[in-house]
Amino acid sequence: MIKKSLIALAIAGLVTPAFADTTINGFASIKAGMTMGSDEQLYGYTDELDFKNESLMALQVRSDLGEKLSVTAQMMGRGNEDFDISFEWAFLSYQLNDNTTINAGRLRAPFYKYSEYMDVGYAYDWSRVPRSVYGLGFNNIEGVSLYRTDVIGGFDSTFMAMIGGYSGTTGLGDGKLEGFYGASWELSRDWYNFRVAYYTADATLVFANESVNNLLAALTSNGQGELARGIGFDKDKGTFFGVGAGIDRENLVIVAEFNRTEVDNTFFAKRDNYFISVGYRFGSVTPYVSHEWERHDAKPEIYQPFQNLATTPLAPLYFGAVATVQSQAREADTLNIGLRYDFHPSAAFKLQYTSQKNRLTDDRLGLVVAGVDLVF
Amino acid sequence: MIRIFALLVMALSISVHAEISVIVNPGNANAVSTDDLNRLFLGRTSSFADGSKATPLNLAEGQASRDEFDSKVLSRSSAQLKAYWSKLVFTGKGTPPKELADDAAVKAAVAADTTAIGYISSGSVDGSVKVVATF
Repeated sequence: MIKKSLIALAIAGLVTPAFADTTINGFASIKAGMTMGSDEQLYGYTDELDFKNESLMALQVRSDLGEKLSVTAQMMGRGNEDFDISFEWAFLSYQLNDNTTINAGRLRAPFYKYSEYMDVGYAYDWSRVPRSVYGLGFNNIEGVSLYRTDVIGGFDSTFMAMIGGYSGTTGLGDGKLEGFYGASWELSRDWYNFRVAYYTADATLVFANESVNNLLAALTSNGQGELARGIGFDKDKGTFFGVGAGIDRENLVIVAEFNRTEVDNTFFAKRDNYFISVGYRFGSVTPYVSHEWERHDAKPEIYQPFQNLATTPLAPLYFGAVATVQSQAREADTLNIGLRYDFHPSAAFKLQYTSQKNRLTDDRLGLVVAGVDLVF
Repeated sequence: MIRIFALLVMALSISVHAEISVIVNPGNANAVSTDDLNRLFLGRTSSFADGSKATPLNLAEGQASRDEFDSKVLSRSSAQLKAYWSKLVFTGKGTPPKELADDAAVKAAVAADTTAIGYISSGSVDGSVKVVATF
């Protein structure tokens, strides 16, 4: 409560100054969805109809302070966090020249083609960005970015470089990224575009899964620190590489992305994720089909050098390590079929059916979500 | 049959859609291509060919010439443009051009500002502004 009233005061403070040119924009998504079976859970939905899980509301305040300096804050409340408001973005921008801007503060790391506006459902056709591919588990970086637009050989070029760090939740537990840096570059022309991105950082984390932390501690105290270090994250170098391409021609919209994520000297699997989406605009209605692939290869080379332990009293620890490493393997295919209907100048209705098959367990999940995305 | 129908549709659309003129201040000597207009009105540049500052001005949504400009010059529907700008606005990368209520307001603003560039229905053009392109 205190936090909210402070933010309300901060907003009031930002809005009122007479000397700054301030604009307020916002966006919202109201989504209702449920899975098709009683034991199915996907993206936070269960088989009970839910209106909160993917709903969100955000308000952005941008103040132009003159002399090429501006400040932007985006406050967002997500339904799955009980609409508690937090600062999703908060940064200063300084325009170096006509086509170069430096931003500093809390920024969205531009890993993927749609990273930076993944919360703004109105900006794309799907009900959600492809989660299999956009699944690092964290999105924001505290740091500095350089944003530059150019015209190069007839292509519109958009270049972005970022340095900084992160601390907070990740897909595997609370942790931090140090020495984060990298860049993404997009070229577009008429009806097609390409994109490439590379980011790297040193990752440290404490597993959310207590039994993994206990296992690592037991390995270390039994003289198997090397195996423990091969699993855990302690300033281990992570790399992200992504490529993407898109076509938007005569109402046909095709987008594809591929990315590979690796973290050296940890049990983090070599993750290859990719998707392709095809849509067609019939006036205000855009039906689409997309397919996502997750291919995460576990790293048996972590425990194989220690297989002699299997015949010693440390066998339970060894097999614990094997199971922990193998738990990172994943092979899943996700099919989405849906449509966007622009029923209002500022709002779009969306309906999407998702079917996900886990190829390792042979389980299949189904999910239907309907909702409205709007900007204001 | 289909051809006759197509001709009819064309004839109808010509009669419905009035020509629009892109206008700048008479003191502005820059040539402006369709590519330049795209870059200016999509926020990819904020200067004219000679490097001087450019201030693009939009007509308000709902004005017929706005729809014409969006579809003929920017080749996008109003919903596509709104989606495009929401990507830039909510990532702090740009703000859409200022919107003015009607042809008279755009013409007055362009006549008064050497950096301004706008568009109005060709029927509204007079000597206070200079036409650099028509669509």
